[in-house]
Amino acid sequence: MSAPLPSVLFVDDEERILRSLRMLFRGRCEILTTTSGREAVEWVRRRPVHVVVSDQRMPGMTGVEVLREVAAHSPATMRILLTGYADMDAVTASVNDGEIYRFIEKPWVAQYLVDTVEQAARVARHDFALAAARPAAPAASAADTAIAARVAVLDDDGALPAQVRELLPAAVRVEHAPDLEGTLELLADHDVAVVIARLSSTDGDVAEALKQLKRLRPATLAIVVSSLRDSRLLIGLINEGQVFRFLLQPAPRELLRRGLAAALERHAHLRTQSDLLQRHAVDAPRHEPVATTTGRLLQAWRRLREAATLRIA
Amino acid sequence: MTAALQAFPTAPIASDVAPRDATNDADARDRAPLPGLAGLLLPTEPVRPETSVLDVAQQFLDPRHAGLLSLPVVAVGGRPVGMISRYELMRVFLQPYGRELYGRRPITALMDRAPLVLPLSTSIDEAARTIAAHVKSPITDDFVLVDDAGYAGTGLVLDVLHAVEHRLAERSRELERAYARLKSSQSQLVQSEKMASLGQMVAGLVHEINTPLGYVRNNVEMTRAALGDAARLVSAQQAVIDALTGEAEPDDDLDTRFAEVGHLRTRVDAAALDDLCGLLDDTVHGVGQIGELVLNLKDFSRLDQAGLQKADINRLVESALRIVAHVLRKRDIEVVLKLGEIPPLDCAPAQINQVLLNLLSNAAQAIEHERGRIVVATQALDRRVLVVVEDNGKGIEAEHLPRVFDPFFTTKPVGQGTGMGLAISHQIVEQHGGAIRVSSKPGTGTRFLVVLPVSGAAGAAP
Repeated sequence: MSAPLPSVLFVDDEERILRSLRMLFRGRCEILTTTSGREAVEWVRRRPVHVVVSDQRMPGMTGVEVLREVAAHSPATMRILLTGYADMDAVTASVNDGEIYRFIEKPWVAQYLVDTVEQAARVARHDFALAAARPAAPAASAADTAIAARVAVLDDDGALPAQVRELLPAAVRVEHAPDLEGTLELLADHDVAVVIARLSSTDGDVAEALKQLKRLRPATLAIVVSSLRDSRLLIGLINEGQVFRFLLQPAPRELLRRGLAAALERHAHLRTQSDLLQRHAVDAPRHEPVATTTGRLLQAWRRLREAATLRIA
Repeated sequence: MTAALQAFPTAPIASDVAPRDATNDADARDRAPLPGLAGLLLPTEPVRPETSVLDVAQQFLDPRHAGLLSLPVVAVGGRPVGMISRYELMRVFLQPYGRELYGRRPITALMDRAPLVLPLSTSIDEAARTIAAHVKSPITDDFVLVDDAGYAGTGLVLDVLHAVEHRLAERSRELERAYARLKSSQSQLVQSEKMASLGQMVAGLVHEINTPLGYVRNNVEMTRAALGDAARLVSAQQAVIDALTGEAEPDDDLDTRFAEVGHLRTRVDAAALDDLCGLLDDTVHGVGQIGELVLNLKDFSRLDQAGLQKADINRLVESALRIVAHVLRKRDIEVVLKLGEIPPLDCAPAQINQVLLNLLSNAAQAIEHERGRIVVATQALDRRVLVVVEDNGKGIEAEHLPRVFDPFFTTKPVGQGTGMGLAISHQIVEQHGGAIRVSSKPGTGTRFLVVLPVSGAAGAAP
């Protein structure tokens, strides 16, 4: 069943965009295009599609709606949003509902788009093959996944850790780290399933640290709680940090609970099938984290890197 | 007279009022006004009822009493029984033998037995009212102030007047401040409405511009890559031709060169170049679209310029439609244009644009079904221009209809409308000497009619 080329579906209400993309990807993949979100979902239901690249603002269905449906029908399909305007609501929904792989803005850089789509296609083909080989692998139940899992809460305030503690089963260990150093130390010493971080400023180390962290610990999932309505920050967290959930502060209880449950389940899944980790691969961060770091923080990073190397070895 | 003063039990009263003495100073009163009349209290030494008229006259000469129109007459125990004024004494003394006739009689013979007595706790406003009701012309008397213990001192009518004036000035300053606050918050609201619609507009425009920019950039990048291949193909072919025609040294590599040409021809052929031409046509189209959007944006960039210009209302309508195009397309709304022959209009185009933009985006937002339709019609009638914006949306409830032009009135969810859009539109149209009317039927649709005089606001004046 292995097709010679991966199949990529492009969705955009502007025919000229589709024409341009067809030309760009000619010979690189099997190209499917449609101007209708509904038709895109139909395609994915009818046949295997490795990657869906969708515009956001379209008549009928938005891109996030399309990608959410795609995820429901074909979880192995990699999802990319390619849009001309990043309004905060769309970016937030693309993380929380679409669980997208990349958020790319128009106008795009041709080579970056080609590389990203090809990388996504590689991951998806692998996952499709995996799913075909193990069709009946039962999903671990939420109760199983919770056992012995560890959750780190990075917040200088005690309210968020308390809320997280209250929302999770008793078997889950919730650790509170008031600063980044503490979080990194936790991560170096233990297998942490989920990091919940409160982000209070755009220029802090936390966002950059989350990106670095994803490279060192791809199986650790990040939930960010923030009052910052900064779409650029969030796009960075998606593309370079594969943030799992982004909740606007004050995070509604139910959203936080569901996000935590989903993250723990995903983590357990990733641990049992480490092949899937590629789905969480990230772009190289644009900034090195050391620029503003203190000695103690630097040391924490070093320990974490060593620990990561040991684990891989 | 000295004996009379000494006999007079003034000491307790004087010491009683001594602490209030500071209030005698006008500046001190201004600095720390006591509530009500207490702030105006003068610790005047009263005269006793049995004091003779001559002795009272003597007391009026005392420099401490220089500012007083009258002296209070107070019985033992602090009960005020009357008031004697300079005016009354003067009237008596000016009569022939007045001094001789009345001089030795007790002051009770001449005093006013019903003086104005006010409790210290009386408010300035109330005191002013009571004084106004009592006062005679010319003003001959001040008034007596009492507290629970009886006589407390006197107060001057003039001081009450000053206090009232001071309070009025204070109040008018407060009113001015409140007015200024109100004005600035209103202009802030107008500004925030403008910013809200501007923000919406910019979001739409960014998307509208980035979409063509997306394929334009991609097409150009691909064309550049293809041109590189084409250039290599041309030079490889040239090399082969040169070798075959003997222009260059025949080399052993002819086979390699043939292979290279063959390889490059798989990447650049007539069909690929044809495709490229198609992409470049798209590119030209996209650049044209961006240019058009920028041109439309220019009309909106001078939102604050109210300068009157001749403008073609049909062009304004078309340009406003382009700005809201993304909203209309997103909701699959059909637009029906019925533009008439319209003479150029004296108006502030940016402001009329704002009105049109507001009406169009309201119309789009009112449509919640799939068969959305907005009719925009223009028509010239006498010296007037009619603009109709009609939608087939959900309509406006009859009870809301009279309020749609009210500032802050909105039926949109919190955070989605400032309730200022139509209020500002109304103001703009009125400033142009025109009128704006609405009619609506719930479930059927809404129609806005804007009437503008061709010759602008000046021509509309009766």
